[in-house]
Amino acid sequence: MLLNAFGRGFDSRRLHHYRILKNAFAYIVRETPAGRLVLTLVVLAAFARPALSQPSADSGARRGAGAAKRRTVVIDPGHGGIELGAKGKLGTLEKDITLAIALKLKALIEKNMAFQVVLTRDRDMDVAVENRSAIANNQKADLFISVHTNGSRQKSAAGSETFFLSTGATPDEETRRLAYLENNSSRIEGHVDKTSEQDIKMILWDMAQTAYIRQSSQLAEMIQGELNSLLGTRNRGIKQAPFKVLTGVACPAVLIEAAFISNPEEEQKLVTDEFQASVAEAIYRGLAKYLQVYP
Amino acid sequence: MAKSKNNLKPALVLALLLVALAVLVIIFFTGGERERVRRRAEVAVPKTQPRAAEPAARKTVTLFFLSDDDDMLHGETREIAGGPSAADEAQRALAELVKGSEKSFLSPLPSETKIRQVFIGRDGVAYVDFGREIMDKFSYGSSSELSAVYAVVDTVAFNFKSVKRVAILVEGAEKETLGGHVDLSRPFSPDYSIVAK
Repeated sequence: MLLNAFGRGFDSRRLHHYRILKNAFAYIVRETPAGRLVLTLVVLAAFARPALSQPSADSGARRGAGAAKRRTVVIDPGHGGIELGAKGKLGTLEKDITLAIALKLKALIEKNMAFQVVLTRDRDMDVAVENRSAIANNQKADLFISVHTNGSRQKSAAGSETFFLSTGATPDEETRRLAYLENNSSRIEGHVDKTSEQDIKMILWDMAQTAYIRQSSQLAEMIQGELNSLLGTRNRGIKQAPFKVLTGVACPAVLIEAAFISNPEEEQKLVTDEFQASVAEAIYRGLAKYLQVYP
Repeated sequence: MAKSKNNLKPALVLALLLVALAVLVIIFFTGGERERVRRRAEVAVPKTQPRAAEPAARKTVTLFFLSDDDDMLHGETREIAGGPSAADEAQRALAELVKGSEKSFLSPLPSETKIRQVFIGRDGVAYVDFGREIMDKFSYGSSSELSAVYAVVDTVAFNFKSVKRVAILVEGAEKETLGGHVDLSRPFSPDYSIVAK
């Protein structure tokens, strides 16, 4: 529950409310006689519990519970709040379309799959790009799907495409990073000075998505196939790009660009309920195909 | 005697406090993350060299624009004033890129874009510092953001051999993205695979 309060409400306002509540709670528990009595009872109960349960079954049961835990897919409706994303000639905003598609996709997955669905935003609000991947990692997400609609300076640009991360690092850099990690992994556990600790954290953060590139490309391919057959938009294929939102995600992650909001013809499609539903359906079917390969 | 002793004590305390304050001020201005401070300072270094007095040599550069027919970048050559440094030439080349194509190509950058400074480090990383207009004057989609970034990166890296990678700053600072898509936290290697042959 506590984790939920942190994970879902990553915005500072909710964090602020959480802190006020926590402080009030701490005051009542510590400073009033009734609070102290409750605290004593809670502590006693906590000590009594392990004694009552069988100690030998404990670790096994915990592992079992972990496996049975419902898996989580995080859906990220692109942009939001003051960040509008791309803008259509008729005034349609990317942030509104991505939210509409994400909500439809959430409903589809929850209806048909045994997945828990978490949205990085469920209304028009600001969410920093870094916090979107943080939400996925806090929720221990199994899959991350970022939904966007494309924008170009060329009026004629049209079609749909699906991205996964390119780190932008040359193979040379990647080798050096891996070497650094190998040479220093024994020291990570022990004493590490401040600056190299920061280096290590940066490297791990950078590499979070690198470990999942293969699965991410597979997921992208399957979703792209469904977008092609369901939307009738031009197939722009699967591509790699250094997108910020994918960088730190520690699970397979893709970013979908469904049609161009900057193309007036496609903009008119994007605002319709039917087209948005088709995009959601295509992503859902791609996801289902992916889960047949990686159950 | 007693009176002077009484006066001395608060004065001593005051002096001690002043010394402590001075130490704190010194720590405040000299301590902290030295790495970042140095990098910003380098970027903000004003150009000390005055414009070359004699008519400088011309230099031909290739700028990368968008075409309405495909998704590729298209090279267009342009003459700019040469010297004194590669950074100055790079800044002029980028100004031409903002100004737009002399053929019918599209500029990948907002027409209001201002280039505050270009700095080329010894490690081969060019830092291009834009004014806030590059973020504020356009609503980027993935495609337009990618083409804006790579038009800049390829233009600088293609024309200046000392440049291996290009970092993009806005108002002298590192930004997450220009419009919510492309990660600006690390320098970019040029990508000529998106340039039309």
